[in-house]
Amino acid sequence: MAFSDMMSYNSMKQPLQDYQAPNQLHFNPYDFNGGTILAIAGEDYALIATDTRLSQGFSIHSHDNPKTYPLSSKTVLGCCGFHGDVLTLTKVISARLQIFEKDHNKQMPTSSVAAMLSTILYYRRFFPYYTHNLVAGLDDDGKGCVYSFDPVGSYEREVFRAKGSASSMLQPLLDNQIGGKNQQGYVAQPLPLERCVTLVKDVFTSAAERDIYTGDSVQISIITKDGIKNERFPLRRD
Amino acid sequence: MFLTRSEYDRGVNTFSPEGRLFQVEYAIEAIKLGSTAIGIQTSEGVVLAVEKRVTSPLIEAGSIEKIMEVDKHIACAMSGLIADSKTLIDRARVEAQNHWFTYNEKMNVESVTQAVSNLALQFGDDDPDPGAMSRPFGVALLFAGIDEKGPRLFHMDPSGTFLQYDGKAIGSGSEGAQQALQEAFHKSMTLKEACKTALTILKQVMEEKLNATNVEMCTVTPQNLFRMFTKDELEAIIKDI
Amino acid sequence: MALSGMFGRDGPGPLWGGGPTPGLFYNFPGSRNTSGMEAKQVTQSPVVTGSSVLGLQFKGGVIIAADMLGSYGSLARYRNCPRLLKVNDTTVIGAAGDYADFQHLSSAIEQRVIDEECMNDGFAYTPTSLHCWLTRVLYNRRCQFNPFWNTYIVAGLENDQPYLGYVDKIGMAYEAPSLACGFGAYLALPIIRDTMDKKGELTKEEAVDLIDRCMKLLYYRDARSLNKYQLAIITKDGVDLRGPIVSETNWEIAHMIKGYE
Repeated sequence: MAFSDMMSYNSMKQPLQDYQAPNQLHFNPYDFNGGTILAIAGEDYALIATDTRLSQGFSIHSHDNPKTYPLSSKTVLGCCGFHGDVLTLTKVISARLQIFEKDHNKQMPTSSVAAMLSTILYYRRFFPYYTHNLVAGLDDDGKGCVYSFDPVGSYEREVFRAKGSASSMLQPLLDNQIGGKNQQGYVAQPLPLERCVTLVKDVFTSAAERDIYTGDSVQISIITKDGIKNERFPLRRD
Repeated sequence: MFLTRSEYDRGVNTFSPEGRLFQVEYAIEAIKLGSTAIGIQTSEGVVLAVEKRVTSPLIEAGSIEKIMEVDKHIACAMSGLIADSKTLIDRARVEAQNHWFTYNEKMNVESVTQAVSNLALQFGDDDPDPGAMSRPFGVALLFAGIDEKGPRLFHMDPSGTFLQYDGKAIGSGSEGAQQALQEAFHKSMTLKEACKTALTILKQVMEEKLNATNVEMCTVTPQNLFRMFTKDELEAIIKDI
Repeated sequence: MALSGMFGRDGPGPLWGGGPTPGLFYNFPGSRNTSGMEAKQVTQSPVVTGSSVLGLQFKGGVIIAADMLGSYGSLARYRNCPRLLKVNDTTVIGAAGDYADFQHLSSAIEQRVIDEECMNDGFAYTPTSLHCWLTRVLYNRRCQFNPFWNTYIVAGLENDQPYLGYVDKIGMAYEAPSLACGFGAYLALPIIRDTMDKKGELTKEEAVDLIDRCMKLLYYRDARSLNKYQLAIITKDGVDLRGPIVSETNWEIAHMIKGYE
């Protein structure tokens, strides 16, 4: 989308409020801060991994900035793209979760987190949160689940998905290794957690070799009925 | 309560020195003029039964609606000023749909009741918010529904207070009916029994003779969710009483 | 870069050729402007600017520094611009970018500090709360397409622990043990990170030396910098705001560089 289009989208938001003239601007409100997230749903677990690099162009802002955000004991959000929007969006979500918990006397189920996130994103349809999102967790039956989103709220439940700067490197690998694509005589079977963790470390190590926006270390969050466990694994730091 | 009646019952938001809000109490009294409504919660589902006062043979009985569907899984029965209930039911429906829209799940019965009770206390006699009432609502509601905690029955009165019940009667015959409910209710009651009990008690407290046109009944079950009884189904139960 | 991922370079494309596009203004031939009014203009580029700010944590405290030049484009217009603001005894902020925006926000912050002191309830801004507040303010302004054209570095002590936070004009914020903005991010930050990696936790003296070395380097290489800088050291003893400091420079080899005479 051309940037000048964004401008008029914004002024369309309140076209009649005080009938002001359209703003004419040349300021880019977006940036890209890199980062890759990856989520996999297992039989009784969900896994979500993120690299910990925060960058901007050729500079690395931070080596220690994981892009996953625990929302409850059974839901973790992965969120990367423009970090300013990430900060705001994650704050909005935590606030909404607290309100929900007080209103309904229960933790918000993962499926509802996903539905709510979709509405939050869509309400900014004409000035989007420039964020790539994944929601990983356990569903109401205790099974692992992953929901993936586009920046304006379209979403679906999937078994595995990579998002962010190295997503186009990770996804085909996962399609092959987990989805069994392009494998002859592949028999689908449940993915054990150990193999899943190894696979994640491997794909992130590979992505860090080729993508300058991915690196430093990978943080893996494993969600089971017993809660969330975090694990770090070092990656290239340059 | 009328002994202490004084100037303090003029304003809707003025406490009396004894700490009472008379207008709210009067509103609760208004319920006792309404037709009787009964709700029973069983492990299989919830039943709501209401009396319809068909005061003239020229009234089209079907146009008297005292049980309403809030969502597929929640029903509401009412007694008192039925016109007031329209606002409350509207709110309940909006809240339920809004919850589904945002969270992609059925709203809990308790949450719906809570949402409606928030509206119940938004009254005031000066400069009300647009849409808010200038007096308390004159209607009591029974919310019956199914959610993740199973079948649930809630009662809400004009003060906005709401409580969960196994069995609850409201309206003009509520005192007798509540007594009868207490005697008839037991935890292992089936839904079928509950339907029959509800109509039996209604029959006892109604002034008119109970028939299939002057009562309404519905059930909310995990299988069929909200379901109104047809005239034929009602007649079949009434026959057995 | 920004949104190209969503619809490709040219956006979703018009609904039909030559016709209006949903959500966009469409000017019919012959008409001048949709609203008949001229476009409103807001601050869209910085005027008087400051360059680098450096910040780093050392054992028991934080140090932050910025030179005192206010550039007007390539003109070294103002040579005595303090770009550090002491907020309270535990917090200092440093700003790069538009100097007027910084002054505006400074007075807003100072007023808030006064208001807070009037409460006399023992509460004061902590570096974290100020950093968070700044992030919200800057993000809100970017959403109105009327940004505060600054990058801020918040330095201070939070529960006696060193704190350093960064936030820029679009509300991008993070914390790190060492921070720099402007040219400092390219020239000074690698040296600071390298030193901190090698030496581990620095002492106060080492930190001051490192800052001086970096400010000198910036003066040599960044054309929008000045050999006059301020430095603030925040420890549990309070804020030690030093400066203007003039580093000793060495131009002995300058004459050997050919081609720039």
